[in-house]
Amino acid sequence: MGRVRIAVERLVLAGFLPVLLLASAVGRPVFAADPFPLALKDDRGVTVRLPVSPRRVVSLAPSLTEIVFLLGRGGSLVGVTRFCNVPAAASALPKIGGVIDPDIERIVALSPDLVLCTTDGNPRDKVRALEEMGIPCFAVAPQDLDAVFTAIERLGILLGAADRGRAEAEALRLRARLARPPSGDAEKPAVLFVVSTEPIIAAGEGTFMDELVRLAGGRNVAARFSGRYPRLSVEGLVAARPDVIFVAGMSGVERFPPEVTRWKEVPAFRDGAVITLDGDLVTRPGPRLVSALERVSAALAGWRAIRPEASVAGAGRKR
Amino acid sequence: MTGVGKRSGAVFPVLAAALLGALALSAATGPVPISFRAAFDAIFRGTDDTAARVLLSLRLPRALLGALVGGALASSGVAFQALLRNPLADPYILGVSGGAAVGALTVALFLSADASPLLPLCAFGGAALSALVVFLLARRRSGVSPERLILMGVVVGAFLNAVIMLMVTLAPPGKIPGALYWLMGDLGLGTPRRVAVLFPYVAVGTVLLYLLSRGLDLLLLGDHAAFQAGLSVERVKTATYLTASLLAGSVVAVSGLIGFVGLIVPHGARVLVGSGHRRLLPAAFLLGGAFLVLSDTLARAASPAGELPVGAVTALAGAPFFLYLLRRNGRRP
Repeated sequence: MGRVRIAVERLVLAGFLPVLLLASAVGRPVFAADPFPLALKDDRGVTVRLPVSPRRVVSLAPSLTEIVFLLGRGGSLVGVTRFCNVPAAASALPKIGGVIDPDIERIVALSPDLVLCTTDGNPRDKVRALEEMGIPCFAVAPQDLDAVFTAIERLGILLGAADRGRAEAEALRLRARLARPPSGDAEKPAVLFVVSTEPIIAAGEGTFMDELVRLAGGRNVAARFSGRYPRLSVEGLVAARPDVIFVAGMSGVERFPPEVTRWKEVPAFRDGAVITLDGDLVTRPGPRLVSALERVSAALAGWRAIRPEASVAGAGRKR
Repeated sequence: MTGVGKRSGAVFPVLAAALLGALALSAATGPVPISFRAAFDAIFRGTDDTAARVLLSLRLPRALLGALVGGALASSGVAFQALLRNPLADPYILGVSGGAAVGALTVALFLSADASPLLPLCAFGGAALSALVVFLLARRRSGVSPERLILMGVVVGAFLNAVIMLMVTLAPPGKIPGALYWLMGDLGLGTPRRVAVLFPYVAVGTVLLYLLSRGLDLLLLGDHAAFQAGLSVERVKTATYLTASLLAGSVVAVSGLIGFVGLIVPHGARVLVGSGHRRLLPAAFLLGGAFLVLSDTLARAASPAGELPVGAVTALAGAPFFLYLLRRNGRRP
């Protein structure tokens, strides 16, 4: 669907091409296909118009900052959030506040010609305030891995790096495909992905972590709850019996307290199958989600390889 | 708030049965299926399987913690309402909650991540400190007046609330969920050790309040009348204040801020047994305990989105029930 939309947009853009070629032939060397001026619909359905390739970009989310650098356009960033720490160069950029509390005045003072924002995280009215001041805001809201790849392509177009965007997205798609286990009757371990260990808060349906577990060939035991981030009691954890537990480590709360890990009824505790992943890796809808998928997949492949006998219901399977 | 006349003596057996029933229901509810037989074996034969361990080290301690916390909050609420002569008083009105929260957040956010044994200690320290500060600020040579106590409590509470907001805002993002759940009130930390730690505080506190019950009756008449009735008013006030704060502080330390119980359960108990403290205090303890245990059972069982914090359930489930109780009583002559 997203690809169709891009194709249509490309057709529209093609209409501008002759004009551009004429204009650029006057002074500058001609680039392959300068798509500007450009009109692109964002994930809110708002059409964002850019007269020229943006040169002063502000990013309102760490994932967007990562994508801009991935596209080789890090040099155009003039402002990022205080959470933008990847790549290292992002940390050195001026800070405009946080994701939910961006400082409008600071953003305006940077006189950006484009603000990249997200619909889940950035407050809508702050984005609207920026738009009312005439700053174009492009919103991205990927809900799954495929949508992240599409977002990379679309941001590529927006930032005048369409080819790079397509190439990076393709490379990531390939890596994601390779990371998935060979489909078939591979055993599906029961997996719990927690974002907090005290209290125990798990990633349920509709989260990127849930998708990672499914893509990696696991069964998310928290998916049966209705919320996106259900909270589990110790007893709930014992009842769920996960074979593998992933912990999205956030600033230090990445260990289960001993009164939780002593429940050896939980196969993951009995076998020591508790794996800590960098929290940023699994919560940011950016290119590094693929690295997270590779890690989760590798862990589950490892579980399948040395599958603890006791947890296999049918002991008939002997080697 | 006048005496409601004689009630049948059956109130106390009924309340005690309600508490026991609530404890049993709580112990029977949870995601791990436990048969009655397995529960019986676990308790009386000392079996050691998953069911037994879930029952003995997760469910029962949690239920008992709920009973202690609910009872202590309701008793403390009764005492504050009498001391301040204010039906809107609750255990948190004088800044105890804010002090405890600041103490707990300091540990959770800034000292170390897995300092759970330190957390109740610091919460208690914060509660005791703020209670003491309010008391000293409110005291004059002539003694402590309810109005000044409330005023100082509210001002100190507002200040501490600002500190809480500041701490939560400045905290690293990963540590916020834990702290927020704690602020909302949470019995999930009920371990046998916690119950054992809390028990002496609650026992000493409730017994002390019970011994003060005649004094509390007289305080309701006003300082002057109480003095003329032969009460050493200031001493009773000081003792009540410190005891009720101790109860509230120790409870907050192990379970976070659970609202509503300390405010409304005393009124419910008054409807049942009248406002004489000798009957009111035990009734409030039993009613508060049963109510909180039931609320926690509901919080664990009712939500399809995982556990709810019990602090959210107490008011949600309790407000309609107590509204009914209070209105029904209001219609009587």
